Amino acid sequence: MVDMATLSAHHGSQASRARLRKRKMAELRLKAYGIAAILVAGIALLTLMSSVVGQATRAMTESYITLPVTLSAEDLDPDGTGDPSVIGKANFGGFVKDVLKEVFPTVTGRSARRELYDLPSSGAAFELREQVMSDPSLIGQTMDMTFLASDVTDLYLKGDFGKLRPQPHSGDLTVVLADDGETAEIRTNSNDFANALAEVKEELLDQAVLLRRQARLQNTGAEVFAARATRTEYADAKADLEAQSASRIVERDRLAGLAEDLERRAGEPDGTEALSDNSPTVIIRVGDGWAKMTEIGMTGGKADVVLPIGAADAIPPGDWKLYLHDLPETARKISDQQIIWIEALNERGQIKSVFNTRFFSAGDSREPELAGIWGAAVGSFWTMLVTFGLAFPIGVLAAIYLEEFAPKNRLTDFVEVNINNLAAVPSIVFGLLGLAVFLGTFGVPRSSPLAGGIVLALMTLPTIIIASRAAIRAVPPSIRDAALGLGASRLQTSFHHVLPLAMPGILTGTIIGMAQALGETAPLIMIGMVAFIVDIPTGITDSATVLPVQVFRWSDFPERAFEARTAAAICVLLLFLVIMNALAVFLRKRFERRW
Amino acid sequence: MTNMRMTEQDLGVRENKIEARGVDVFYADTHAIKAVDVDILDNTVTSFIGPSGCGKSTFLRCLNRMNDTIPICRVTGDIRMDGNDIYDRSIDPVQLRARVGMVFQKPNPFPKSIYDNVAYGPRIHGLVRDKAELDEVVEKSLRKASIWEEAKDRLDQPGTGLSGGQQQRLCIARAIATAPEVLLMDEPCSALDPIATAKIEELIDDLRTSFSVVIVTHSMQQAARVSQKTAFFHLGNLVEYGDTQKIFTNPEDQRTQDYITGRFG
Amino acid sequence: MPGLIILAILAIAAVFFSLSRARALNVSGGQLSNLHSRPFYHGLYSLLWVAIIGLGVFLTVLFLGSNLINMLLLGEAREAFPDGSTIEYQLLMNDARAIASGGIPSRVDTLREALAGKYATLENIYAMSLLILPAAAALLTGAVTLRQVDVNWRARNRAERVIRFILLGAAVIAVLTTIGIVLSLIFETLNFFNNIGWRVDKYLFGTRWSPLSGVHDGSMDADKVGAIPLFAGTFLITIIAMLVAVPVGLFAAIYLSDYASPKVRAWAKPMLEILAGVPTVVYGFFAAITVAPFIRRTGESLGLSVASESALAAGVVMGIMIIPFISSLSDDVINAVPQSLRDGSYGLGATKAETIRQVVLPAALPGIVSAVLLGISRAVGETMIVVMAAGQGANLTLNPLEAVTTVTVQIVMLITGDTEASTAAGPAFTLGFTLFCITLVLNVIALRVVRKYRELYD
Repeated sequence: MVDMATLSAHHGSQASRARLRKRKMAELRLKAYGIAAILVAGIALLTLMSSVVGQATRAMTESYITLPVTLSAEDLDPDGTGDPSVIGKANFGGFVKDVLKEVFPTVTGRSARRELYDLPSSGAAFELREQVMSDPSLIGQTMDMTFLASDVTDLYLKGDFGKLRPQPHSGDLTVVLADDGETAEIRTNSNDFANALAEVKEELLDQAVLLRRQARLQNTGAEVFAARATRTEYADAKADLEAQSASRIVERDRLAGLAEDLERRAGEPDGTEALSDNSPTVIIRVGDGWAKMTEIGMTGGKADVVLPIGAADAIPPGDWKLYLHDLPETARKISDQQIIWIEALNERGQIKSVFNTRFFSAGDSREPELAGIWGAAVGSFWTMLVTFGLAFPIGVLAAIYLEEFAPKNRLTDFVEVNINNLAAVPSIVFGLLGLAVFLGTFGVPRSSPLAGGIVLALMTLPTIIIASRAAIRAVPPSIRDAALGLGASRLQTSFHHVLPLAMPGILTGTIIGMAQALGETAPLIMIGMVAFIVDIPTGITDSATVLPVQVFRWSDFPERAFEARTAAAICVLLLFLVIMNALAVFLRKRFERRW
Repeated sequence: MTNMRMTEQDLGVRENKIEARGVDVFYADTHAIKAVDVDILDNTVTSFIGPSGCGKSTFLRCLNRMNDTIPICRVTGDIRMDGNDIYDRSIDPVQLRARVGMVFQKPNPFPKSIYDNVAYGPRIHGLVRDKAELDEVVEKSLRKASIWEEAKDRLDQPGTGLSGGQQQRLCIARAIATAPEVLLMDEPCSALDPIATAKIEELIDDLRTSFSVVIVTHSMQQAARVSQKTAFFHLGNLVEYGDTQKIFTNPEDQRTQDYITGRFG
Repeated sequence: MPGLIILAILAIAAVFFSLSRARALNVSGGQLSNLHSRPFYHGLYSLLWVAIIGLGVFLTVLFLGSNLINMLLLGEAREAFPDGSTIEYQLLMNDARAIASGGIPSRVDTLREALAGKYATLENIYAMSLLILPAAAALLTGAVTLRQVDVNWRARNRAERVIRFILLGAAVIAVLTTIGIVLSLIFETLNFFNNIGWRVDKYLFGTRWSPLSGVHDGSMDADKVGAIPLFAGTFLITIIAMLVAVPVGLFAAIYLSDYASPKVRAWAKPMLEILAGVPTVVYGFFAAITVAPFIRRTGESLGLSVASESALAAGVVMGIMIIPFISSLSDDVINAVPQSLRDGSYGLGATKAETIRQVVLPAALPGIVSAVLLGISRAVGETMIVVMAAGQGANLTLNPLEAVTTVTVQIVMLITGDTEASTAAGPAFTLGFTLFCITLVLNVIALRVVRKYRELYD
């Protein structure tokens, strides 16, 4: 028997108090989960934004190299015509290369020259051409001209491939040049290279660890094959497996031997160490002369001269510099020589970094330093124009019909269900629709803002219809009654009274739908707006791309410099979205009426 | 304890269960209840009457701190239950509400089975040890709310499937099952038809044997029928409080007189 | 050119608007009350009909014309050169067109020259009729409507009826879109099934996906079109996404609706809205550049081998994308649970957590279920995140650290790939149709549940 009064006494008892504590804990837990969920969402948003903005800031500047140029007539306009069309045919690419050769006359050999030519952008020659064509009087003059730096140069200057770290040193430097002047003996009278040597040795140990790991893998393989060999019943298979095992043992021992050798070298307190492409780079600089060490001991070693260095005796520590670069040459896109050239140019003040206006005014390009988003932005504009022109009137008219005129029957019901379902159809399916129907059957030009706009309009239509219906429904029936009571027809009532009152809500919904359309990518890829288009589109039937598709394309390119540009393009896209949403919020706040 | 209570009842001794002194309630800047003093007696039905918006429901919700769930609401003054300040910091509103149950204006059964509706309170408060005890509590409560006969064959069906009057009795059973000492009823019959109302009124009279019942009503007849004590509220003030008999036959205040005779309301 | 023609038709319509209005004024004899309809409506009636007929004829000619030319030429080509393959005919047509328009054909021979000549004539006729037919139709309609202007002519009612049909037409466009989707998908799907010899079972249950290898004369190897790896990959990424989105979205919704102070709500809700407004391509970039390398590094420091395009990275980011979706839908249904139920629970001495868990959530469950279903439908159909961050090879695995591919990724790869469009379209549209069916079923169920639920509490 349970007596209710006894139960009543339970409230406030010791047991109930203990239970209450537990219940309160559960309460706190649920609350904590809630806060955690909000925090997770917040952190996700923050990480997303900071990773995008962080990347984007690096695309906001571009680098230029200033070089002295003599625009000699024999190179550019041998006949002295002064005619831009003749000048345009001159070999400006070769001309820029000649300029570089003059700046660094000691650079010889095909591969070294090619590295040198990679310092300015391939677009620099075109820009020079344009400049000279628009002002032929420049020919014959000598002046300083700026050349756009290549993406690799620009990235190095922004610190993407590490920095040269100056090392402390206290010794006097002696340089003994070899006969050809291309290599040199470097000596100091103090242990100035100890630090560099230690880093090199550390690198050796790292390599040894890798080799050991590979040796272990080979060992496992050997064991596996040996075990299989004992299990198998067929003689030929057995022989084969044993051979496999043996070859792995050989490889294991070879790797282990290499690792041992590396460890031994690393373990020796001094001695010399040859530097390979996988070692940290050690660089010596005396005045304008630069050399890259190829072998170092505690007090110096051998070096390759990159920029002419004079033979000298006992240069005091203040007059020479020792640099270390942690990233080995193989781990970066830029070679040691290129670093030295850039540093040398930088030292002479021939490199400058300016705000990247090109990014906002240029079309697409395969070269990251030349690529801009203006083409995509204009493409987006045309596409949105088509989308708005179709989706807004159709959406509003459909909403008026469904709210004000549609009879309550199965057809209307079907239309409604249809609209709701259409709102949740994956966007890529709309792309397939566009591909099959508008490109295939109706022959709308491929890649054109017209095709993109139609597809996006169909996609946005449900959003606009649903928002417009809500806005129309919010207009109180009393307004309709008043108009109808004065003898207006239902159509007049709808267009003269209901629609103007619902307009702010309709516009808000339309802007939100347009914002969605502006960020949409997948359906546009389906209808070919992913093509490489350099020209700025001038109408709705030109080939074009749009901002989000541009983001997608750039993110797919291997050049590292595109990463920052992709992020910058995202920022531009987000900026437009923010503006549109702010407009929607403003409209809602300013004109929203509550009845 | 049980025995004690029985004795008191037999003797007709009525103790003060709840004492309210100088209670003020504010909704943001609105002064909704002004310096109200009321005593709620044990094993008695007390009714709060008054015109709409006079604050009777608001005051009722002070008694189990339901007003805490409204962020802009602020209560000051002194309300004691069995001599303890219920607004004291050591008192947990959750525990208080287990002792002071509440039935609302609109029947609000949970979207669960009838059984689970009634078992809700005992379960969350851990009143029972096993299923058998729970079954018993559910049955007792349903019987006490005189809905057992209608509900016993459909305990596993949703409570929302009952008729309005049945739903309200289910809500009363739900409140009873938590084993409260005081039962607050906020216009429990306003959404019901006359027959269902009569049933509930009958029920309220029965409940008096086990609880102290406070009922808010705007029907004076109902107050006269079910309650022993009556408090008349007007514009946030407690105008008059006394035996129901006296209030309805011989009120002291002119406003009470006017209200009862139907001059306003 | 087409733009100019449209403008011309609209101009004709505008002219007839003023002509009819003027005529109405004229017949009224200066006494407007004589007219049944005000002159404006006479004008409007003319304008509507002229525009509708003119634009209708224009679009019909535009649509039929180029197809008709193609058909005529193709018939000609078949006659002169029977038994060619589809591609040969295509080449022939392209060359003929190139010759006619002064482009660069792949080859020039007599047949091509003849076709080109024919093409040029037809093209001329087409261009002329595109200009003349719509204009003539518009003028004729205008003349007819102008003649109808009369004192008793019920122009307002007539015009309104036309407008109502226009309104109906706008509403029907949504239905037409659905029909267009279904038709275009089904057509290619049937084509594709035909090409694999109607082995639909091999498509639905096969485990090898490599549809473009072994294509011979348009027929495909039924053993290489097994979409199970794609379904499994889609499923895996969707599961991961929902594991992130459902708890976070749901708890966020609970917190915002029942716990958060107005101050917290004031910044948390816009934050979720921003998260919802970020384009998917941005999420894809985020997944590929930030999350995938992070997961890879973390996994490697724990000694796990993680693919750089792991399902986990794509799934987690997709989950983040869906959080606001789940949270806003759940928030709506949780808020829709009547306060009286909460009061009832509090009145019995329940804590907030107990009220939420035992009263609010069960009451809101149908709505939450449909939110989750809609979320799944989103995840299944999401394209950009997986295209940018998930793998491309069909890999049948349930290990979230490996790369898997999805239905949408394969569609994009097939359509944007180098293969002949007519070959790649088959599998791509079939996948699209499958995707459409799956999401349609999910949406229909979800919308049903929501509708039932609304009826319960409204």
